[in-house]
Amino acid sequence: MQSYNTHVKRIVLLLAIMALVGYGAKKVLTPSTFGEYGHYRGAAIEKEANRPLKHMTNYSCKSCHAFEWEIHEYGKHKTISCEFCHGPYANHVKDGKYVGRLPVKKGLEIKTLCIRCHNKEIKARPKDVIKTIKMPDHLKSQHVREDHICNQCHHVHAPLRYINRAKKVLGLLTGKEAGNEGR
Amino acid sequence: MKDVKAAINKDRREFVKKVLRGSIAGSLFLVLPMGGEGSIQIPEQIPGIRGKEYDMSKQRFAFIVDITRCIGCGSCCVADKREYDVPDGHYRTWVERYIKDFDDNVYVDCPNGGLDGYQKPRTDIPGKIRDTFFVPKLCNMCERPSCVQVCPVGATFKTPDGFVLIDKDYCVGCAYCIQACPYSARFLNPKTKTADKCTWCYHRVRKGLLPVCVHVCPAKARKFGDLNDPESEVSKILASPEVITVLKPDMGNHPALYYKGLRREVV
Ligand code: HEC
Ligand code: HEC
Ligand code: HEC
Ligand code: HEC
Repeated sequence: MQSYNTHVKRIVLLLAIMALVGYGAKKVLTPSTFGEYGHYRGAAIEKEANRPLKHMTNYSCKSCHAFEWEIHEYGKHKTISCEFCHGPYANHVKDGKYVGRLPVKKGLEIKTLCIRCHNKEIKARPKDVIKTIKMPDHLKSQHVREDHICNQCHHVHAPLRYINRAKKVLGLLTGKEAGNEGR
Repeated sequence: MKDVKAAINKDRREFVKKVLRGSIAGSLFLVLPMGGEGSIQIPEQIPGIRGKEYDMSKQRFAFIVDITRCIGCGSCCVADKREYDVPDGHYRTWVERYIKDFDDNVYVDCPNGGLDGYQKPRTDIPGKIRDTFFVPKLCNMCERPSCVQVCPVGATFKTPDGFVLIDKDYCVGCAYCIQACPYSARFLNPKTKTADKCTWCYHRVRKGLLPVCVHVCPAKARKFGDLNDPESEVSKILASPEVITVLKPDMGNHPALYYKGLRREVV
């Protein structure tokens, strides 16, 4: 026999089932760490924090390239990262082993590299931050041909190394600068 | 330190992997393995991160860009692209060049985001140039980020330590956040098909290393540090009488990225 409120019971039952399914679905579909710190997956923070490093620091090159590192560390270019000029650590060393070659700039590429930072034509280069030069006037003032590349006179890792040494020999360097081996 | 030694001896390779992943909390050095025997320890660049449990709720970081020191070499852009394999044509950080003439006209350009540096002066400016300067841009890590507000799926969020990050596994690529960001710091990464942006190198900071753009900057124009540490450079700058501003303060986002010596022309 059908009672007069069967349809109400059906609706209530249906709603109850829907609520249950909805609740179950939310439980299953919401990631476990959602809401740990806020309206997002807490695990996403650790994932970002554990992203593999590609760049290291200049110090990371020291163990294998002590010679270059030493020159660089005590030269005027110590603030430049090895990896900016050569490429990231991760392309070169993995698990302590050499895995790939880092590019070394040659010839005109070196000039382009130096001019990138030292071009006087770009006016926005504060004098107390960086010394700039004008090409080819810089070479003219040294009385050399205009096809000279910067590294013929400047050590790329410590740009005043040779120059200060030469000055020291000529007795042009005195005091503190003369003491530090013309770095 | 004893248990660390024991862990090393047990399984050297596993230990090193763990350290690299940063899952051994509290180790004082970032230890890099050296082929075969031994390892090297990378000194920390942000004092006070390593050697203890990282408590997210207690950290406060700030980023300061010093406009008066930037030389526009683009080292930061190069390093950033390499660290994250950013696809061509998209930039997590970029360097703009501002040129002002004596009639107060402002010319802004940013060829390839500054990736190739600024090798040549601009020759297409009719008036006499009064001032040229570079403005590096990156994520502002807002105190009240509008990108987080608009995300419909909770895929972009602000961590308790103040970083605005993206959950790549949850992002649906709807690009609302890209429109919401007043600083245009976000883009849709064509490789992952998700939103992407600068993270202030969260993975490096957690290991006690500086963000890569800060580390490679040869002019010390970018500074990053711990505000809880009164001895850090950023704390000292923010406490000094220097002119420190943020971009678009009227937007009410309260950035944690400060600019030193910013001119009013910069937007
Ligand atoms: C695990 C030891 C190791 C570390 C650490 C290391 N290198 Fe090297 N690197 C090598 C070896 C081995 C070679 C020699 C490869 C050859 O001769 O072909 C080399 C060669 C080079 C070269 C010259 C490439 C050439 O073809 O002439 C450069 C440049 C270089 N490394 C830069 C770096 C920089 C920058 C770092 C730090 C980020 C670094 N290396 C860290 C092992 C290392
Ligand atoms: C200003 C950019 C710059 C920086 C910074 C720099 N290098 Fe170099 N490096 C060069 C260039 C350019 C050459 C090629 C030198 C040449 O041909 O005269 C080179 C050459 C080398 C070589 C190969 C030497 C050879 O004879 O083949 C090694 C190894 C090297 N660098 C390691 C390093 C390490 C380690 C550091 C950091 C401590 C570093 N470099 C920093 C630009 C740089
Ligand atoms: C990434 C930018 C950058 C690149 C590339 C670069 N330099 Fe430098 N260089 C600097 C900075 C910054 C200084 C100033 C360092 C300081 O004074 O603390 C400097 C200093 C110098 C100095 C010393 C100036 C002085 O008297 O104090 C010379 C010389 C020099 N660089 C030459 C070169 C040469 C040659 C090259 C190419 C191999 C080169 N630089 C590439 C940024 C750069
Ligand atoms: C013929 C050798 C020679 C060549 C080639 C050369 N330089 Fe120099 N450079 C010098 C000498 C010598 C000085 C030091 C001048 C002094 O101290 O009076 C110098 C100084 C500098 C300075 C510092 C300027 C200053 O105001 O103190 C910079 C920057 C510089 N050179 C960059 C370059 C760049 C970039 C190139 C390549 C395009 C280059 N040099 C090529 C010899 C050379």
